[in-house]
Amino acid sequence: MTAPVAVAVWLQPVLLTVLALRVAAGDAEVPWLALGALIAPLVALLAPTRRRAGSNPIAAAAATLALAMVLAADFVVAADAATLLGGTPWHGVGLAAGLTLLMPLLPASRWIGTLAPAVAVVALLLPLTAVALAMGTAPWSAWSHGSLRAALTFPEASEWVVDGERFPRPARLTFTEGQRVTALTAGMYRVVERDVTPPTVRQWRLGAGEALTLRPGDELSIEAGARLRFDAGRRVPGAPASGIAWADAPGRGPAMLPGALGALVTLVGGALALVPATRQWGLPAAGAPLVLMAAVATAVGWGVYAAAAAPDLALGGSLLAPLLRLPPRALGARTGDAVAALALGAVGVLLVTAAMALRRRLAATAGPRRAVWAAVVGLAAMLAAWSPDPWRLLVLGLGLAAAVWTPSLLASHRAAALAGSGVGAVVFVGLSGLPLLAPGVEAWLDALVRYPALVAMPLGWATARALGDPAGAGRPRARRAAQ
Amino acid sequence: MSVPRRRRAAIVALLVLLAGAPLLALAPAVPGAVRVAGVSLLWWYSALVAPVLATGIAIACLVRDRE
Repeated sequence: MTAPVAVAVWLQPVLLTVLALRVAAGDAEVPWLALGALIAPLVALLAPTRRRAGSNPIAAAAATLALAMVLAADFVVAADAATLLGGTPWHGVGLAAGLTLLMPLLPASRWIGTLAPAVAVVALLLPLTAVALAMGTAPWSAWSHGSLRAALTFPEASEWVVDGERFPRPARLTFTEGQRVTALTAGMYRVVERDVTPPTVRQWRLGAGEALTLRPGDELSIEAGARLRFDAGRRVPGAPASGIAWADAPGRGPAMLPGALGALVTLVGGALALVPATRQWGLPAAGAPLVLMAAVATAVGWGVYAAAAAPDLALGGSLLAPLLRLPPRALGARTGDAVAALALGAVGVLLVTAAMALRRRLAATAGPRRAVWAAVVGLAAMLAAWSPDPWRLLVLGLGLAAAVWTPSLLASHRAAALAGSGVGAVVFVGLSGLPLLAPGVEAWLDALVRYPALVAMPLGWATARALGDPAGAGRPRARRAAQ
Repeated sequence: MSVPRRRRAAIVALLVLLAGAPLLALAPAVPGAVRVAGVSLLWWYSALVAPVLATGIAIACLVRDRE
């Protein structure tokens, strides 16, 4: 497999759009997540090559499920795009599922898979460059500008103020100052009033156009699909209190270390499973790290400029809001819409190339039958229909691949591969299902529940190595390019 | 240095670079919050220094190694 194709499997639209949104939102974890999104596939590209350890039904089943989860997370991006463009989430999911089923059948699919990821990254970078030129600030100046804001408030031109916006997923907003919220879709709105002891819960059934007045400390629960309008100049609910809080998340501290370790182990382990060894060396292979760096830097850039110019874009958690809403604000409606369309097209191309690369990985692990791929796409569409948290889906997919698939790739013979995958699977499922088995999970177990691969992958790997000759210890082996 | 040894050294270097971000952010006294030219040290490291170094290491390995 060539290096650009190996990279295509990693450049999932959900990964890049989540990074952009989380940078815009001032997420505490995002600095190391962004770095992990770049370094994890680089480690996989350089990882010692391995011999294939025979057929492994456990790894094949886990790979199928893991790829379905990753694809489902991508479909959520498509659902968000449809919601932002005025359609229903199902329009986006249906279109994305259709594309991922049909594109691999085209005669030019191999050519598309080789060149398209780099072209898509350039197409994602061009609109950002246009935004940066219009704003007249370098990325570091934009970051600095964002970090100096006294408060993150709704601008006059915000879509949340002018026409209102939809929430693609259920949300809970905490208000730090009194404000009036207008419901543009009829529905049930639940408010937890925390200015009394004990907190009071009130439910309001509002019709379209009816308003709700919220006080400082109130928490508003919103159903998926609800469309709301806010007042200009008021603080964005749920956003950091100020630019300083955006730049240096107040919650960041040593207690986050297990979660950080879990996220990085999941990313590196997932990359080791998903990103295959490349048979391409020399100068042609150098393009892969450059494309990866450009993609991650572009995603971070979108987030930084969104935070500097439009801090309300992260409200609602719509993954494509920075890409689709920032250009019209920076460049004006006409030019901005065209530039946003280019960014959306780039994400669409990344979706197709990533799906084609995932299909190749599936064919190498679970067989090349079209019915298996169709089942994966169908399962992914069903998962996406629940409007889940796309980051959670991606983490579970990468974590499952890391815990069950990676030990199989690192084992020296079939028995070791089966044992490693089995142990990884049992630990992963046990930790993932812990909140269902024991609802009052201790706080110190939280990182393991969020990132089960943190324990499952090392245990699976250790089992595979204990039962066989430690692969790669002192002598080179041949990991097949398409395991 | 043989190809496998060079690869292993490169991977260790990449993982050390990766560990640097949470260490800068979460260490006591929070060194990552120090501002350099208006941007925090954590973001200079995570978005510029470490990515450029990591990409350079990977390119150097991929260009030199032939299997």
